[in-house]
Amino acid sequence: MPQPGNPCDACVAPFAAGNAAHVRKTAAGRFSNGLAILLCLLVLATPAVSREKEYLQVFVTAPYLELRSGPGRGFPVFNVAERNESVRVLYRRTDWFKVRTEKGVEGWAAQRDMLRTVLADGTPFKFDLGDRAGFTSHNFEMGVFAGDYGGATLVSGYGSYSLNSQLAVELAVGQFLGKFDNGVTGDLGFTHVLVPEWRISPFLMLGTGLVHVSPKATLVEPSDRTEQTAYVGGGLRFYLTRRFFLRAEYKSHVVFTNRNANEKVDEWKLGFAFFF
Amino acid sequence: METGIRVLLLTAALMALPGCASVRNWFHHRSEVRQAQAEAKEEAAQQDAQDAQQDADATPPRVVEPEVERRKIKVPKIRSSNVEIGLQYGFISIEDFGTQSTYGLNAAYHVTEDFFFLGEYGRAYAGRTSFETLGGNIQLLTSAERQFTYYDLSLGYNLLPGEAFIGRGIALTSAFYFLGGIGATKFAGDDRFTVNFGGGYRVLPADWLAIHIQVQDHVFRTDLLGVSKLTNNMEATIGTTVYF
Repeated sequence: MPQPGNPCDACVAPFAAGNAAHVRKTAAGRFSNGLAILLCLLVLATPAVSREKEYLQVFVTAPYLELRSGPGRGFPVFNVAERNESVRVLYRRTDWFKVRTEKGVEGWAAQRDMLRTVLADGTPFKFDLGDRAGFTSHNFEMGVFAGDYGGATLVSGYGSYSLNSQLAVELAVGQFLGKFDNGVTGDLGFTHVLVPEWRISPFLMLGTGLVHVSPKATLVEPSDRTEQTAYVGGGLRFYLTRRFFLRAEYKSHVVFTNRNANEKVDEWKLGFAFFF
Repeated sequence: METGIRVLLLTAALMALPGCASVRNWFHHRSEVRQAQAEAKEEAAQQDAQDAQQDADATPPRVVEPEVERRKIKVPKIRSSNVEIGLQYGFISIEDFGTQSTYGLNAAYHVTEDFFFLGEYGRAYAGRTSFETLGGNIQLLTSAERQFTYYDLSLGYNLLPGEAFIGRGIALTSAFYFLGGIGATKFAGDDRFTVNFGGGYRVLPADWLAIHIQVQDHVFRTDLLGVSKLTNNMEATIGTTVYF
């Protein structure tokens, strides 16, 4: 049920009216429907920044909290919130928090300054810092790879969700571009990080996937084919700084073909990834 | 099926590993639990002793029971606004095939204030080569093959963050950034590994809205015209993005 005051109600209304009365398909009607769709899209596209809602209130314990005009270290400080004053935390962008003071001034406060604020019950305001501890334990990872897939150049990306600090579910999608064939791969599996605390940390992988191969037209077997695969693999993650790490890995794929023998494909890749 | 057996064995070994990890501190863990139980028992015994003593004191019941309600803090989740999604439109000079309009989608994730990951997808329709134009009725490519489609995954660096001023009263957050990445281009019936690099200027009329002007080169190797060569495909776009 749409909530009262939901801006999309206004957008839905013309459609509802149109359906009930079997409105004539006039140019004006089409225009109003078009306008409604456009308005709906705009409402959907506009982020919830302007929507009034309950924001977290934190209190300044340092002598003052600096407010900058932009989310970056070089932007000028244009206002401050004094000690014991409260600010509302509107949202966060990278390591910066957009806050609103009691006087209604909005500005950007740095992560390290926000660490010196407390909640209304006096407990420190805690949040995800994006540091080495985050590398050990985090929710999501994403990254981009370049490498080799059975002799072809590989471009690939992955995303993973951590079930705990050691085990993650991972989805990787790649495209390989070779002399004899091109294709795309998709893998879904588990990644097990052996010792998450280490800066250079090994991991093992196991999963299944699909590969779609498009042989180049000059070869004997010109038809495209999609086949199921299974893989085992391993690699190393190397923590760089902040939220970044390098990742090198090897996967050994078995492609289950409908020919006499299954194929084995080696995949090597090196990539740049981040966690959040 | 030697490979099959090898995979099976590896699978079994790998499946066992997460389990091993979870029982890594098993012995230690048991001793911790025993210790905690002993402590709890001791505390309970102490508490009983105290209660007995209090009963013996037999203090008269209070007339007014204090009703102090602790204020419960509900911590609302702080929204992250690191994702930028938008559209772009501009021109691309497809080497040997003239300059054409291009349009596309892009999505970025801002990891730190300096670095961001950017994914782009764009399309254009290649024109005719000079050879085709001069040669009359010659067609090097079919209509479908002239469709130029690319995607890239890039890393960006905000080189010169700053503010842009409009008049006396308005200051807009802005940044010059560099981009470099890899991807693929589908053109003339083939997919080719592509390296892209370039730069752009981003200005934010509001904290959730950005306007981009971006110039990039998409470089890939092709042997379409007989010899294998690297082609440079310069692209200039203007785009708008929304932060989520």
